[in-house]
Amino acid sequence: MLTRFSLTNLSHQTRWRLLLLPYAVGIIFLVVIPALLSFGLAFFHYDALSSPVWAGTLNFVLAYTDELFSLSIRNSLSLILIPVPLRVLGAFLLARLMQGNGRFLTWFRSIIYLPTVVPAAAFALAWLWILNPLYGPLNLLLQTIGLNPPAWLVDPVWAKPSLVLMGLWQIGEGFIVSLAALYDIPAELEDVARIDGAGSVALLGRIILPLIAPILLLLAFRDAIFTFQESFTHIYLMTRGGPYYATYTLPYFIYEQGFDLRAFGPASAAMWVLYALTGLIVAALYVVARQWHIGTTEETFVL
Amino acid sequence: MSSNHKGLAALRLLVAIIFLLPLLWMITASLHPPGEPLPTSLRLLPVRPTLAHYGRIFQLLPLGRYTLNSLLVVALAVPITLSVSSWAGLGMARLPQAAQRRWVVLSLAVLMVPGVALWSTRFLIYRQLGWYDTVWALVAPAWMGTSPFYVLMFYRAFHRIPAGIFDAARLEGAGVLQTWWRVALPMARTTAVAVALLTFVLYWGDFISPLLYLRSGSRYTLPVALQTLQQLSRSDWALMLAAAVWTMIVPIGLFLLLQPIFNRSQKRNLSQ
Repeated sequence: MLTRFSLTNLSHQTRWRLLLLPYAVGIIFLVVIPALLSFGLAFFHYDALSSPVWAGTLNFVLAYTDELFSLSIRNSLSLILIPVPLRVLGAFLLARLMQGNGRFLTWFRSIIYLPTVVPAAAFALAWLWILNPLYGPLNLLLQTIGLNPPAWLVDPVWAKPSLVLMGLWQIGEGFIVSLAALYDIPAELEDVARIDGAGSVALLGRIILPLIAPILLLLAFRDAIFTFQESFTHIYLMTRGGPYYATYTLPYFIYEQGFDLRAFGPASAAMWVLYALTGLIVAALYVVARQWHIGTTEETFVL
Repeated sequence: MSSNHKGLAALRLLVAIIFLLPLLWMITASLHPPGEPLPTSLRLLPVRPTLAHYGRIFQLLPLGRYTLNSLLVVALAVPITLSVSSWAGLGMARLPQAAQRRWVVLSLAVLMVPGVALWSTRFLIYRQLGWYDTVWALVAPAWMGTSPFYVLMFYRAFHRIPAGIFDAARLEGAGVLQTWWRVALPMARTTAVAVALLTFVLYWGDFISPLLYLRSGSRYTLPVALQTLQQLSRSDWALMLAAAVWTMIVPIGLFLLLQPIFNRSQKRNLSQ
């Protein structure tokens, strides 16, 4: 596009590039350097007070033999493996329900998104109250129906399901993304299918779902990350990892190691596992994406 | 057909009510008169609803200061985020094709770094920078646009602008920043509003950063104030929920206020 090499042209080009500078610098200081640091610290004893002491692979051995560590990973996985597909499916079905025209539809959609706007700490306290075994509205409601409700957060068996339950109200983001994806499907497709005699369920399963699947996959990944991290606030305020470590997740382990025990070494070793897990999921996503021939076009970046 | 429609409408209404329930329950519980035993049966409203707790929360804690702290954080974080992310998005959109792809891949890679894995090392860095226990530790992510997701949102919006418009602006003598402010940003208005709202909600409700990076109570923001209150009076549910309602009023109010803008663009984008 440059027809003449001149100083004014060059500096204008450079000035466009300069727009990226704050972003780049920010990424280096806020992501790259901390990430590298956490990779390195895993090989040291460090308590933020005295200088780091070389520890070789001791932290990894400690983490590997630490029962709490493996428990935290199991808990984190169980809070992701089943709940996340459930939430994504729920978001998709809700989007399907709220698709179309209707008088109050925009209001209903806003209502569905509303709980995600509530600060996590406030949401946690709200559900701490709602799930209260004796006076909480949920159990009162269940009792009036005649059921014998569980003790929710106080019961080691029901603690994780309690977290999953409250997470269902925060599928607003997935809902909006699914809605946008549904609207991207041309209406003619649906009309043609109906003319061919497809019922609603067949329409959903054979036509719509396969078209949306890539977006839902991305949504699932994003939701997994989101649940994984955001649940920390909920767990910290509601159960402190209990009862009996039922809700003791990997973020909680890392928090305890790093900020309670000042053991930055083991905390960093635990982070390795986190990076590895994330890397695995990304690799899996990549493989699946190639299977579905998703190119690196903008369309797929409807994160 | 009409009964189908009625069924659909009823189902939609039911879903909406279900989603409102937790918030409604919060509010009604916060109106429970202090000192009275909690009801053991389901009621729509307490027998003698009172706003007393909303006064008490300001007496028990310096909640006014905490609110101001939260306001300070968003007052800093939102403009910085908007600037950095829209600059980056614009810069990306103006790059040659191959470079664009590289930056998108870079952004996606950064997006996938789990935040949990950055907690403790960011703590060490903030300490080195002297940001520990200051508002800057809370605002820090804004300097990279808070999230590559927002950068990608702006990139998407700016990518659509034809190159001719930028050339025209250049011919009129507009510099890069002027083009950003006068030409590009107005064309990405909905994106900007969305990013502003999302950023506001994020920083207002951020519990983890103040938990990890603040020490002095005077700098606390509302989310950690909730935790302090919880430690002070664990079983005073109405009190805690009043504070929780207070915490959520601002983001919800903002969200409802901005609804018309999103609805308008939704209608434009989703109209069939």
